[in-house]
Amino acid sequence: MAGPPKKRQKRDDKPDTQMPQKKFYRQRAHANPFSDHDLVYPTCPEEMDWSQHYPAFTATIPAGVPKDDPITTTDWDDHYLHPRITQDVEVADIGCGFGGLLFALAPRMPQTLLLGLEIRTAVTEFVQEKAKALRIQQDIASREGKEQDLVPGQYQNLSCLRANTMKFLPNLFQRGQLSKIFLCFPDPHFKARKHKARIVSAALNSEYAFVLRPGGKVYTITDVEDLHVWMVDRFEGHAGFERVGEEEVEGDVCVGVMRGETEEGKKVERNGGRKFVAVFRRVADPDWV
Amino acid sequence: MDVDEIINKPSRHPYQCIASVTKGVQSAPNVYLLAACGPRLHSDTGKDEPNGNDEGERPAKKQKTGSSAPSSPNIIKLTVSPDQQHAVAVTDDKVIHVFSVGLDGALQELSERAMPKRPCAIQVLPDNATIICGDKFGDVYSLSLLPKEPSETADATAGARQPQSEQPQPTEQEKPAFKPSATNLTVHTKRNLKALQAQQNQKNFSARKEPLKFEHSLLLGHVSMLTDAVFATRVVEGKERGFIITADRDEHIRISRGPPQSHVIEGFCLGHKEFVSKLCVIPKTDLLVSGGGDEELFVWNWPEFKLLRKFDIAGAMFDAIRGAKDAGKSAVEAAENAKELQPASEHGGKAISMHRINISGLWTAPFANGKGHTETLVLVASERMPALFAVPVNRLQLKKRTELTDCVLAHPPLDVVSIGNSVLVSLDCRSDDGGPLIHVYKLKQGPEAKGSILFDDDEEMMHKLSCLEKVQAEGKFDDKKLDDLLYGVASLRKRKGEDVPRVPHGDDEAEEQAMGVEGYGQMPKGEADI
Repeated sequence: MAGPPKKRQKRDDKPDTQMPQKKFYRQRAHANPFSDHDLVYPTCPEEMDWSQHYPAFTATIPAGVPKDDPITTTDWDDHYLHPRITQDVEVADIGCGFGGLLFALAPRMPQTLLLGLEIRTAVTEFVQEKAKALRIQQDIASREGKEQDLVPGQYQNLSCLRANTMKFLPNLFQRGQLSKIFLCFPDPHFKARKHKARIVSAALNSEYAFVLRPGGKVYTITDVEDLHVWMVDRFEGHAGFERVGEEEVEGDVCVGVMRGETEEGKKVERNGGRKFVAVFRRVADPDWV
Repeated sequence: MDVDEIINKPSRHPYQCIASVTKGVQSAPNVYLLAACGPRLHSDTGKDEPNGNDEGERPAKKQKTGSSAPSSPNIIKLTVSPDQQHAVAVTDDKVIHVFSVGLDGALQELSERAMPKRPCAIQVLPDNATIICGDKFGDVYSLSLLPKEPSETADATAGARQPQSEQPQPTEQEKPAFKPSATNLTVHTKRNLKALQAQQNQKNFSARKEPLKFEHSLLLGHVSMLTDAVFATRVVEGKERGFIITADRDEHIRISRGPPQSHVIEGFCLGHKEFVSKLCVIPKTDLLVSGGGDEELFVWNWPEFKLLRKFDIAGAMFDAIRGAKDAGKSAVEAAENAKELQPASEHGGKAISMHRINISGLWTAPFANGKGHTETLVLVASERMPALFAVPVNRLQLKKRTELTDCVLAHPPLDVVSIGNSVLVSLDCRSDDGGPLIHVYKLKQGPEAKGSILFDDDEEMMHKLSCLEKVQAEGKFDDKKLDDLLYGVASLRKRKGEDVPRVPHGDDEAEEQAMGVEGYGQMPKGEADI
């Protein structure tokens, strides 16, 4: 459902330095992951131009060096001429919503690139606008020498992308590229016949395992106990994952941020709901039998 | 066309799937052709005594299996176990039928098992004991070729499509109490709270869907619609490793380990821009050929997930269209009919008809090279296009401009199978009384360019198969239904500006029904849409 034009107008009216307002970006909280959605996505991870998302991390090619090496390039027609980026995205927040987790996490891991993935267009736009505004504000603060306003990383290490990760995760990330995946307050899809639409399933866990490096972690949080049990069952039942012990979970800064800083986390708090957290570690692939 | 013509229009049901079974000792094999015609499966001897033990034109055997009642489900997939002992057929009511193949080619049905979703790919693994089955919903299952317990067979079909009436209605006390997953802590809006309250007060809930009553395990799954799945092996460090290669409508080709480690994804072959509909692993090589809605055919080194080259199939198709007039009136008509209507929304202009590539078949087949030795080539078909395209396997990797050879046929090809050096092509010649339903060719290297292929008629084999033509006299069928049975690839294409799944793969009721989710009414409806 597209918002009334007034809403869109209001979005455009704000100056770049000002933060976007959520009320102009509200969108129905459900999307059908099986639809085509007119999505834009790269054919393969190499085709992805990350420099637009993380301009501060763009690798500069020294002057005079050609962009392509004629000997090493393959001779089929796709050449990936995008400016290279100094490092890969390592943390993915799948279904990031309004990005609460990302904005809280980014200053805590300023040397790591974080990416929010969201299927709803307006919500994705909000996160992008917010990141843009924060970066500009940080720029101004830095120029004006307001040290106390600066945060580590100055929000240069976070971005957001509209994507249906249930279908296109391998289009975005290479094998073992990620160290952390967050699945925060996913759509519970209560109906049994909709369970295939859940973000956690035996089949999808294989894809999470593929993009995670061994030792990498999947963080889950939900206020729906049945969904929590389902997610734990699916990850524990998958040979690519093991559950992380309670002590380690409680000691993990990310878990604290996930509980307290996500938009849904705050909402559940307000409504007096419960929060169920589970973390799973990617184990190395077994030897061939 | 006058009324008389319409009424008397010849109509023959084509063979939608064909397969071959080799029986007997290696020195003197008997080859039988299995051919699926609508709901019927025929087994016919294709050839006898290849080593000169000539007994003349022995009448070919003919067997019928399955009923031919008009409502019978059509066969949509047909395969044979590597040891040639069993044949497996899938019908469009989602049932997997396993047959034993006798020494005389006779088929005997051993089991029927109904899968939860419509299978789109099926293969018997080299162990001759396991079937892998991919379904449109994206899941790949393994099940044993022969159900372990004899009682399983009888129960199996009932399992998934159990009519409600046969099931003893459990009394209220017996049923486990239903508890909604949502609580007033998880839902907050007025409407949702109302729905939740209604749920909590509700007493009767329809039964959950019965689990499948036969042994099966989920090997892997795609969220995208699965279009093809093949099992491939490769020898690494002296040991054979199995892989499952799957393709989907969202342009992916995924390579997973074979069972029991099918949860491990080894990699993806990414490069297609449109749906992938067919995969063909080239035996004894690391090559994979894939095709779908793209104008090119892709050749991969699949263990390295590397694209080696592409072949311009669209160019070859336009050559074929230009050449159609030499193949007769029916070929010209079929080529014209192969056009797809593009709605105005696609390109901003008005709706137009145009040809598009929709790869409906990839097969390997033998051909005689310049020295008369037998080599392998790849045959390609694009849906509704009356042509086959060929390229020798040893030229697949060449960077030089080897092109596809096109051979215009009188009618669109449906399936291909090789028996010895003969290549049998099943044709959709429903409206043509004269043409053979199964045309047989012998392929050989052409005189002009290297890699060009000549298609010679194999009259001898066609004569032997002539009894298959006679079977066709009976029966009436609906043209539209036949189209639905034979041609489903074009509908995989995504349409711009449409946010609904083109092919049923979503969660609306209509889509579910089209997808073949049985007993929609039997599914738990107890939970509110929160």
